Amino acid sequence: MIVSGDRNPISRSSDRLIPLLLVPVALISLGPILRLLAEGFGLGDGATLAHATEVLGRESTRIALWHSLVTAGAGTLISILIGSAFAFVVALTDIRAKSALVFCLMIPMMIPPQITALAWMQVTGPSSVLLRTLGLAPPLGSPQPLHSAGGIALLLGIQHASIIFLTLRAGLRMIPADLVEAARISAARGWRVWAQIVLPLSLPSLAAGAAMTFVTALGNFGIPAMLGIPARYSTLPTLIYQRLAAMGPSVLSEVAILALVIGSVAILGVLAARLMLRRRAFGLVGLSGQPLSLSLGASRPFVETLLWGFIALILVLPLMALVATSLIPAYGVPLSFDTLTVKAWHEVLFRQPVTRRAYLNSLFLATSAALILMVVALPLAWLISRRPNWATRAVDTLVDLPYALPGVVLAIACILSFMRIPFTQITLYGTLAIILLAYLSRFLVVMLRPVQASVSQLDPAMEEAAASAGARIGRRLHTIVLPLAAPAAAAGAILVFLTAVNELTVSALLWAAGTETLGVVIFNLEDSGETVMASALAGSIVALVILLMGVVQFASSRLPKGTVPWQG
Amino acid sequence: MSRLALALPLALVLPFAATAGTLKLYTSQPNADAQKTVDAFQAANPDVTVDWVRDGTTQLMARLAAEMEAGAPAPDVLLIADTVTLEGLAQEGKLAAYSSPEAQAYDPALYSKDGHYYSTKLITTGIVYNTAADDIPTSWADLAKPEYKGLVAMPSPLYSGAALIHLAALTDDAELGWAYYEGLAANEARADGGNGGVFNAVAAGEKPYGVLVDYMALRAKAEGSPVDFVFPEEGVTWVTEPVAIMKDAANPADAQKFVDFVLSEDGQNLVSEMGYIPARTGVASPEGFPARDELKLIRFDAAKALADTDANKSKFAEVFGVK
Repeated sequence: MIVSGDRNPISRSSDRLIPLLLVPVALISLGPILRLLAEGFGLGDGATLAHATEVLGRESTRIALWHSLVTAGAGTLISILIGSAFAFVVALTDIRAKSALVFCLMIPMMIPPQITALAWMQVTGPSSVLLRTLGLAPPLGSPQPLHSAGGIALLLGIQHASIIFLTLRAGLRMIPADLVEAARISAARGWRVWAQIVLPLSLPSLAAGAAMTFVTALGNFGIPAMLGIPARYSTLPTLIYQRLAAMGPSVLSEVAILALVIGSVAILGVLAARLMLRRRAFGLVGLSGQPLSLSLGASRPFVETLLWGFIALILVLPLMALVATSLIPAYGVPLSFDTLTVKAWHEVLFRQPVTRRAYLNSLFLATSAALILMVVALPLAWLISRRPNWATRAVDTLVDLPYALPGVVLAIACILSFMRIPFTQITLYGTLAIILLAYLSRFLVVMLRPVQASVSQLDPAMEEAAASAGARIGRRLHTIVLPLAAPAAAAGAILVFLTAVNELTVSALLWAAGTETLGVVIFNLEDSGETVMASALAGSIVALVILLMGVVQFASSRLPKGTVPWQG
Repeated sequence: MSRLALALPLALVLPFAATAGTLKLYTSQPNADAQKTVDAFQAANPDVTVDWVRDGTTQLMARLAAEMEAGAPAPDVLLIADTVTLEGLAQEGKLAAYSSPEAQAYDPALYSKDGHYYSTKLITTGIVYNTAADDIPTSWADLAKPEYKGLVAMPSPLYSGAALIHLAALTDDAELGWAYYEGLAANEARADGGNGGVFNAVAAGEKPYGVLVDYMALRAKAEGSPVDFVFPEEGVTWVTEPVAIMKDAANPADAQKFVDFVLSEDGQNLVSEMGYIPARTGVASPEGFPARDELKLIRFDAAKALADTDANKSKFAEVFGVK
């Protein structure tokens, strides 16, 4: 007979929670990835390197890998230029309307990449409705300049600039003003303060941001798919998509190897980012004081004009071009008051069942993912914070993996895992369930981090008091943790929702009859020559995204610090 | 809570399982046409709901193979670009034999003897050009001339069923043959995506000339796009967008109704209205199109094309340097 040895109610009841929560989370984060490894190396039916050697030896693999590295690398450089310029000015100076500026800089990242590519294709080249309408279109037969490595890198750079901006700004805010004061007292001025104090201290943040940007750019599918496929310029994600789309599941083990190649490069990038962030933490922890605020003086209006002009260039111009294209009757017709028509909008929003279905599917997937993850993230964050042991620490790290890896990798892993669920005859292939599972795995970390930030600020004394009054764990979570962490959970849910509504990379490989997502439909419309309809659908999604971002922005004053990512 | 947890996966799967009265259609028609076809069919058969999916023929075939392998619900009816693909499916025993009462109004060359598939329209492949272009080509051979270097876009046979048949017919032609494709490759003709990409490039003026299916060019021209279409001197190649019923169709009764409707006089008038040359004898071509018997069709052998499919694809990939 066992007499209960541990009479502490907190630890006893939470121990029961551990397997209930940690096992499924670990399974859905790691399971598909392990399945992918097994497929790539033929584990189960005789381990072999034959696949790997064959696929890696192919010229197409090497070319695609090289293209991926080149475009992601060059894109990262462009992101660094844009993101750091904005970060230094916004974090360190006294320019006005900072939050509006930051909000606008965040929009490109929240807009689906294939829409970014579609919009930019309407700005340049002989196809530009905008240029044709203005009579400035390049002559017949000129190439679309964006259908090139440079075009892909440029758009990747614009799309991901906000990652650099956010990490760098967070780093800059940790630089105490005392250091600058000290330098000033020693007669250092202007550029010298910047070059000798601010820049060296911000380098680890910049490097960490660069590594994350590189990983994100590496996994981007929408931009290289829209710009690269027509130019026969393949990257690893588009190569995987094309192989799978043309050949079907017979090439799964081959694309599994390709997925592992891109996954390995991505993991190197993630490790580099972690290393840099740790350096930053060691260097500046413990220092306190006011953040820097440099006065721009008379040059302030000039700097402001420059930044807003740049926003107009990267945001307003392509969106205007997109809307212009959506309003013409047929592709190639210039826009004028005589030709203007909302036919494409009507067809897309009210006639086509596929777009209606895609809206329903995407909204359903995004809402379900947000709600389910909210239910999981609250107790999980609480457990990680209150019960630090090897298991919770492992899960804390694991949930990063599916988000950090390129979406293509996760999609292939999910097809392999759920095409036939082990020990059953059930298949999830071709259902919404497989996309939902992939989303749960991919976006858990998006939900978890803000909730963690909020839970770690809670005082355990309240829960201990409740426990000693006899409240069990469910009740304590419900009455104490939930209300206090709810705002962060709501912000996290909206972020998950926004990310999931925009998603293409995962669903491009997982969709089937009836389970199209918005990203898939835009891609297919453009692909079948229906650019005008694609533009109209894209326009409606951009409006939805900006609206939702506006809701978060509007509610941000009531949220705890650190929950809305674009507000430090 | 646990009951909810059990019900959730079911709710996710069920809406896409086949239900009586719902017909699942895979088609390679453009979205708007697919919608018109479905609307007209549903108006004639109010008790049937049609769920349809559009993609390129090659992609749809890959998807179908994946779904059959996974045991996921597959479509009831196919309405896709070419007879070669359907002949392949019929030989694998994937198609149901159905003798439609409408067949008597069709040229026997336009449907399979066993009723595995029926042609619904004639889609020819010719040359599209941007009206701002200097030269107007009149023949296939023109596209390989030095004046057209770097100015031609064409759909890839690795992607489009119509383009694969176009390739099979032209490379089989005594005058043109593989030498013509080698000439196009040397002339830097761009062959990457499907017909959609070619149309975009030509309408935009990025490539002034393109190899394209007739309806995309002629319909866009009617809506004001700056493009026009040439039926080349050597003749045009053609596909017939056949309709077929899957052998394992969950809803064969409605599938038969769908086939009959598409082949019926009403169905064929709709085809003509949408801007395609109808397959049914006695239904007039749409405005701007030549009548069916005025077209010069390049001969092609479907059985041979099917047997040569892989060889043709890999030879094309080699000639055009696709890896």
